[in-house]
Amino acid sequence: MATSVLLACGLNEQKLPGFIHISEESNVDGSFLISCVLGQRLRISNAGTLLVCLQHHYQHYFNAGMRLGYNTNIFQGKTLGVIDVLSDMAGEGLASKWLTNTEGQTLTEQLVEDIRAQVESNYANRNSYTVLIDNLSILFNLGASKLQVQQFCQDLAALAKERENLTVITKLSNSDIYQLTDNNVAKLGQVRIQVLRLKSGVFREVDGKLLIERVLDEGNYACEETRKEVLYKVNDRNVKVFAPGEIGVKV
Amino acid sequence: MLSNLVVTKQKVVLIIDELNRERIAPKFIGSLLHEQGQGADTIKALPTGVSLKHVGTFEALIDKYANNNTGSTTDPNFTGFNVILPTLADLLCYQTPAFIFGFLNRLRRSENVRRVFLWASPQHLQDPHADYILAGCEYLAELVLRLESDKLLSLISRKPGGGVTNRRYSCEVSKTQFKVTPLDGGLPAGASPKQPSPEAEQIPEPASSTFKIELDEDEVLARNALTLPYERTSEPPEGNIIYTPDADDDFDEEDPDEDLCI
Repeated sequence: MATSVLLACGLNEQKLPGFIHISEESNVDGSFLISCVLGQRLRISNAGTLLVCLQHHYQHYFNAGMRLGYNTNIFQGKTLGVIDVLSDMAGEGLASKWLTNTEGQTLTEQLVEDIRAQVESNYANRNSYTVLIDNLSILFNLGASKLQVQQFCQDLAALAKERENLTVITKLSNSDIYQLTDNNVAKLGQVRIQVLRLKSGVFREVDGKLLIERVLDEGNYACEETRKEVLYKVNDRNVKVFAPGEIGVKV
Repeated sequence: MLSNLVVTKQKVVLIIDELNRERIAPKFIGSLLHEQGQGADTIKALPTGVSLKHVGTFEALIDKYANNNTGSTTDPNFTGFNVILPTLADLLCYQTPAFIFGFLNRLRRSENVRRVFLWASPQHLQDPHADYILAGCEYLAELVLRLESDKLLSLISRKPGGGVTNRRYSCEVSKTQFKVTPLDGGLPAGASPKQPSPEAEQIPEPASSTFKIELDEDEVLARNALTLPYERTSEPPEGNIIYTPDADDDFDEEDPDEDLCI
């Protein structure tokens, strides 16, 4: 269902790079990538996953997973850990720890602490561990400043460096509006996936474009990088990927 | 090579990167220093990442290297440390601009610090006053290298005597080499000058000045070919006014002002 898009993005391997950033342009939805990666990681034997739900609550990911052919409820509490910020806020209201400064900690500091705690308790038992953050721009809505979000990502990158086989995948929507934040987060990782809208307008058969940039080797004065561009279409139960030019107007 | 231009007597070196090479900034600077034979024991880098949150990290660097508590002054060959700072974007993520400028100034004033390198990428500077901060860093720097594009860079160098040079270079970059060639037709950086020809020896050595007084061959030709407006291009003919009076004119040959005693 999602194999082709993961193959195109180079995310179908068992061992992923330490830090991967997904930049989502305005007016385009890249949430399918998070669901695709989540499904792939859950299917790997003894691979741990931590899902930090900021844009949608956990039920959304369950529903998306069912469409793509996997059931997150089977894995929750075992190989899947969830930090559901939205559901916590909905349940506890203004008393939620995410909306109050408990012990003088900011929202991002509390989030880093929770992520570290989950990683500490689960990492040792797993062959690999993936932390999925969906979506960094929600932190701005929750009152975090741009510097706090940048520090948050630096903390996550440091966490990924401390542990082998730990991968952090972040997503930032409206990356064209938060361009500086997007650049600063992207430089922390080896892979950057940009979800872009079609510049020429709207097309029934293509939803958008994926631009995948991967750093192969860091030289002394320049990096060896690869860039790959594909088109995608999100269907009801799968995601299709096309090479540019493959889809044409049929007369 | 670029290292010939950057690793000089200038103490504070600012590299402004328009090409988004921030991820390899420490490696880039380290390679420049290694190319110029700077020993690894003289190259010191401030740790990057979360440790920049703590003022103690900066104080430790100052204490250890700027105040030279490593005991290196006993080495007769010791000329000072080359300090590589984290990128300006990383510094601004954790510290205020005032702190960063103060830290940079302390390093600049230290006799045990030979050179300080700071990398700044404008498309990463998160601060709302990024332009002013970058201008402040340019003010503090004695050498500003601006990587404008894959093929072009500029170098502003401030000499202790007050002279400032601003030169542009074309560049060829690979993973392991960075070659530069001056755009005004000079020799590539690092190349030794050839023996001067007899014609060249007749041209006097230009005085060390920021003014370009001497002219190139093309400029001499262009100056000679230039015609200024209102410039006479030939000898004017003698002016003769030929007047033919009409039949009704009362033409008087006498000079009407003859009786004036002027």
